[in-house]
Amino acid sequence: MQDKLQEVVRKLLAEGAVDYFIGYCQSSQPYRAVPCFVSDESEVGKLVWGPLCGQNLSKYVLRANELDGKVGILLKGCDTRAVVELIKQHQIERDKIVAIGVPCQGQVDHRKLGKILGVSLEQVTSVQDVGDEFLVTVGEETKKVRKEEVLLDKCFRCKHPSAFGYDVTLGDVVPFTVDADAGEYAAVEELEALPIEERRAFWRKQFERCIRCNACREACYACYCKECLFERKTPRWLAAPPLLSENEMYHLIRAVHLAGRCVDCGECERVCPMNIPLGSLYRKIQKDVAELFDYEAGMEMDTVPPLVNFELDDQDPFM
Amino acid sequence: MVSGSDSPGNGFEPKILVFACNWCSYAGADLAGVSRLQMPPNCRVIRVMCSARVRPEFVITALSKGLDGVLVLGCHPGDCHYSEGNYFTRRRGLLLRKLLEFVGIEPERFQVRWVSASEGAKFAETVEQVTEQIRALGPNRPRSEVLGTEPGDR
Repeated sequence: MQDKLQEVVRKLLAEGAVDYFIGYCQSSQPYRAVPCFVSDESEVGKLVWGPLCGQNLSKYVLRANELDGKVGILLKGCDTRAVVELIKQHQIERDKIVAIGVPCQGQVDHRKLGKILGVSLEQVTSVQDVGDEFLVTVGEETKKVRKEEVLLDKCFRCKHPSAFGYDVTLGDVVPFTVDADAGEYAAVEELEALPIEERRAFWRKQFERCIRCNACREACYACYCKECLFERKTPRWLAAPPLLSENEMYHLIRAVHLAGRCVDCGECERVCPMNIPLGSLYRKIQKDVAELFDYEAGMEMDTVPPLVNFELDDQDPFM
Repeated sequence: MVSGSDSPGNGFEPKILVFACNWCSYAGADLAGVSRLQMPPNCRVIRVMCSARVRPEFVITALSKGLDGVLVLGCHPGDCHYSEGNYFTRRRGLLLRKLLEFVGIEPERFQVRWVSASEGAKFAETVEQVTEQIRALGPNRPRSEVLGTEPGDR
């Protein structure tokens, strides 16, 4: 598939169909791939595709607005949801991008991988996808790891938009399935079942650890505002030191901003240096949006986002 | 912007922020006033042009800065001066209430009610009810947590 990808990209660049292409390349750390931008045919060989490409590249297409030409981008089914939302929210035009759909068989969560292998990830030299398992090479040794043990959480609830017109596909882009025991919103429901004081205690403990590095915001495809609320000087919403009360505010405001936008790409949790389970917070909003307004972000092109829309017979508990 | 006292029962008086829409609820509050209805003095009213002007950020910020409750008042659905503003408020209110509850903030601390210009009595009643509920809950967060967060305090 990697060869096919390179061939397609080489052709796109040769024809001048795209100014540059956004894909993945090997990073200096062998256990993960990183985003890379290829603008010349000679660089096409850098592009990789495999089970280490969990990142959502769709944030980078926003730059395409500044170009005269087009941008090519490699899209997993799940990342396509983000692009669908960006188009719906008028942040990017469909004809500005050349979307290459790639079939995905699940992506590795390197934190889980490290835990399972019990060795420093720096020693992992390659990860290969062989059906139900990953072949992980550590030093001289090759170990087999079952997929269920190291897949990203989002892979267990893989969802793709219905009928997205990719410009090129490298195979059938269909949702990947694994046998998972947990329900779609298991983590959220677990928290919902707790008494309210315990939930408060739980989240306070999480928010207390936040160092407000803003990584979750920077990685989030939906945080595309030119001027972020939190950076405004007048009025100033947040002070610089990461106080608990303001951390709480920061995360709750981010959560409401993501209502109807969050596509569960998991970038926030991946980049969080403090391992705050942000996913559970945003999943809660996703769950409510689905239950109350019957809307799932990024799944269809022609539905109206829930908070710019209303029904006369929406629930009204407010009297 | 911190509440007066920390311990419930020990003379705790909550501070409650009220957003009232210019066309219905603020007029309702006015009517309650000129009708000389008795109400607890715990509410601070901010007039907004429409209840949909109240961004969820306002509510979250108020709660995290130490206010004990937030009450958003708007026209009854169908009566919005701008035809449909309060329908958006309703959707946001539904979501925000659930989110706050999820992170452990009692849902009574954020309430939305519809009060028309002629409902002075309902305004007074609502204010009384909400104040009572929040007084029973006690302070939203310890005073120590919010002190030092105002620019003037540093």
